[in-house]
Amino acid sequence: MPTTRARRRSTAVAALGLALTAGLGTLAPTAAHASSHREAPLIAADPAVDNTDVYAFVSPDRPGYVTFIANFYPFEEPNGGPNFYPFATDAVYNINVDSNGDAKPDAVFRWTFHNIDNRGGDTFLYNNGPVTSLNDPNLLFRQTYTLQSSFDGAPFRTRVDNAPVAPSDVGPASMPDYATLRDQAVTTLPGGWKIFAGQADDPFFLDLRVFDLLYGGHLNETGQDTLSGYNVNTIAIQVPFRDVALNGDATRNPVIGIWSTAERPRVRITGKTVTSSTDLVQVSRLGNPLVNEVVVPAGLKDAFNALPPDQDASIAPVVARVKDPEVPKLIQSIYGIPAPAAPRNDLVEIFLTGITTKAGGPIKADLNSQLNNADVNPSAFRPSEMLRLNLSVKPTANPNRLGVLGGDLQGFPNGRRLTDDVVDIELQALEGAAQTGKLVSALAAGDGVNANDHPFGTSFPYVALPNVGAVNHGGTTGNATASSAVSPVQPAPTPPAAHNVNAAPVAYSSRNTLDTVIIATVGGVAVALAALLIVGWLMRRRRPAAVTAPGQIPLPPAAASGPDGPTVQA
Amino acid sequence: MRHRILIAGLAAVLLAAVGGVLGLHLGGSPKTRTAETSGTSSATVLAHADPLAASIARAQKQLRAVPGDYTTWASLGSEYIEQGRVSADPTYYPKAEGALRRSLALLPTGNEPALVGLGALANARHDFAGARDLAQRVLRADPYSADAYGVLADAQTQLGYPSEATDAIQRMLDLRPGLAAYSRASYDLELQGRLADAAALMRRALGDAVDPADIAFCRYQLGQLAWRSGQLANAAAEYAAGRAADPAYIPLLEGQAQVAAARGHTAAALASYAELTARYPSPPYLLEYANLLRATGHAARADQQLSIATAALRLFTANGGTDDLSAAQVALAQGDPQQALLAARREWSRRHFADVADALGWALHQSGDNSRAITYAREADALGARNSAFLYHLGMIELSLGLSSDARRDLSAAVSLNPHFSPLDAPLATAALHGLGQR
Repeated sequence: MPTTRARRRSTAVAALGLALTAGLGTLAPTAAHASSHREAPLIAADPAVDNTDVYAFVSPDRPGYVTFIANFYPFEEPNGGPNFYPFATDAVYNINVDSNGDAKPDAVFRWTFHNIDNRGGDTFLYNNGPVTSLNDPNLLFRQTYTLQSSFDGAPFRTRVDNAPVAPSDVGPASMPDYATLRDQAVTTLPGGWKIFAGQADDPFFLDLRVFDLLYGGHLNETGQDTLSGYNVNTIAIQVPFRDVALNGDATRNPVIGIWSTAERPRVRITGKTVTSSTDLVQVSRLGNPLVNEVVVPAGLKDAFNALPPDQDASIAPVVARVKDPEVPKLIQSIYGIPAPAAPRNDLVEIFLTGITTKAGGPIKADLNSQLNNADVNPSAFRPSEMLRLNLSVKPTANPNRLGVLGGDLQGFPNGRRLTDDVVDIELQALEGAAQTGKLVSALAAGDGVNANDHPFGTSFPYVALPNVGAVNHGGTTGNATASSAVSPVQPAPTPPAAHNVNAAPVAYSSRNTLDTVIIATVGGVAVALAALLIVGWLMRRRRPAAVTAPGQIPLPPAAASGPDGPTVQA
Repeated sequence: MRHRILIAGLAAVLLAAVGGVLGLHLGGSPKTRTAETSGTSSATVLAHADPLAASIARAQKQLRAVPGDYTTWASLGSEYIEQGRVSADPTYYPKAEGALRRSLALLPTGNEPALVGLGALANARHDFAGARDLAQRVLRADPYSADAYGVLADAQTQLGYPSEATDAIQRMLDLRPGLAAYSRASYDLELQGRLADAAALMRRALGDAVDPADIAFCRYQLGQLAWRSGQLANAAAEYAAGRAADPAYIPLLEGQAQVAAARGHTAAALASYAELTARYPSPPYLLEYANLLRATGHAARADQQLSIATAALRLFTANGGTDDLSAAQVALAQGDPQQALLAARREWSRRHFADVADALGWALHQSGDNSRAITYAREADALGARNSAFLYHLGMIELSLGLSSDARRDLSAAVSLNPHFSPLDAPLATAALHGLGQR
């Protein structure tokens, strides 16, 4: 092909005798450029509403309060410009809570952002001197937000206007004490709410290369936190249990479901006038980490992300996929670990109902389904995908990164803490560790990344300060004075978890009993859970401007002949 | 600080100019940024990262390590298409096709992302029917695919099905409002002559733009909307803002050349066109350049540009491409209405798009067949936006048919819409109006 093209090019050039050689080099057939052919962006980067992770956990330093964190805008590079990464001002960001299990939000916390732009004509200057406070006039571009809440479907009520956003950290010369800016961006509201919005270190830690095994790659080159050095935009809120528990009673009704959404106004062009209504279109949705991209077949991925959770159960192909997932079969082909037999009603519990004995599922434990709330109306319960948290599991003195599989019921998949190592949990489960009761030693290292590269804070909003150094090259967060103020999460000032095992209204006689049940049952489904979860991370992580997630995950030919995977039998 | 910005900007312009003279594409990374580094100054100059280039680099690295990663192959293919579009470098299209087909080979079924990419590629190559088929195939499997609706909308617009295009865009807006949907909605409204609505939506798109090239795209379109309404200062401001965001975005040069010509800055306009056509010698740009050369008394150089356009089209055709719309327009500029008529009829048999109707009508007029010409000229006006060039053609055809009142109305509309719409035709429109007793 190149030869043909080159020959014809030279013919044409010779015929014309024009010195356009280089220019004509571009005139392959693909160079068509009709005057009226408007070529608009199709896969335009839209990271500001791209939801990377959702966390929900009982606040370790503040008994009776739950913290929700949602992160957006993946892959913020601190040193690529320098850059700033504003929240979208034409969107709303929601954290939704379902306490009665009908898959509709009973509490919604909504952030709406606004720009304050004092740059005048010079739109390239972010600040014109050191910024020592959020009100510093040297900070020329800043954002604020309105926080609204809605309970039980009532109209939204504004809780605060003009709350400050922690700005993008553009380095110690411009922001010599970023920790102060962070502190000033935490707003406390009547009722004890704490709210935050601003830049933070991406708290998620993993080696993305772990997922290469599904494309025929190996685990021999892991151990690096490939998200190290990147920042995200965080929204966070801490509220009393009573504000999100069914009937305000977290003792009788300790289980809540959490998911985040981003929405934009609906625009209509088909009428005589263009309308942009208060009707909102959901453009991003996230509950369990990446499950919405992985469980759902490719042909329904966009549907799933566009629909509210109360319609999840009505999408038959999604439910079918949950019950008979593709990925465990792939894992079986590569690594010889038998895929559990379908239908996977255990997975229905994990993803769609919460772990409960009350939905007819196979897991004999009651951990985190709204069906276990004493005041719930079971007939109104609707299976749906969301992150579920039992508020009655007290923070443990020694959080285990392996969460429930590690015997620490406060961790994922009971909610999700910043320190939960969901990748290793899933890898171990994938290899049958939960069923054998032992971790698979060959994979004890997992992805080799067991914790975030920066310690999390001990108090709200917990996320580490933004990175200011080079990505993946030992970047530091904030600055020296700031980092000393941020130390690892310390044991919570509450009794150890061992004495607080009232994980659910269904009583268990002892912690050991419950642990055994949970590990045996949750672990039993974890192989598939891992398989389901593990594939999709990269859709969001590795390619912020990516087109779409993969759909089915059939075995790629390269992998069929196969890496020499472990032959651990489940 | 300001000096450093200026120097950086100047360097970018110079680099671009040198690249233009040499016909270079400035290597694999055509975007030059006016970036400032942090850490040494307490003031910070903003610059956006280039997420597209960064994402492509990440994908390439990933695929070197894990060649079986069909997901990344598909996204890399689509990113190559975007890169080909924003850099006006069509050598990205074969790369895109290679990546997309590799993805499909690795995952032949259930690979909608790769099919959407191939659809976008078909549109980029003007295979609009093929793009429509691919989009509809994806939508049968995934009726919620906003991307597939985008491919479908682009194809239906170009194929001359405006109502179907509008429906596809509304579905896109309903599924995933954002820059891609807003910018298509803006174009759709523009084609309906609703320029103010079109500008409002393009501003909304601009608000969501993150990639510098996307910002430049929105600024260029806003500039064009202002230009088509004769608002030179607004157009110039948009182009300048676009170049500040992404100096490498080539269409901005066209916009700046048009404004310079309208303001009588002929030397600057000719220089811009020279740079533009050296960097991207496409027939539409060469035609505009030739028009300005002819209007300013450089007939020989104008003919030379048209010869280059002919060669470009010949090369394009020899390699299997099809662009009879451009062929008709070039033939008309060369005073060959018979060739123009043949080409325009061929294109009209493929698609009933407003520009094709306009070219066919004008070719008929130039061939002396005004009674047929007016049908197409009216169709162009009915199909299309309030476009000065279309109105001029319609008015002149009406004049030839003795429809003085209609001619007066349409020629007046052409000139009042944008008095500078063409350095050659705008004066002719004015003269014709004088002849009709206006002004």
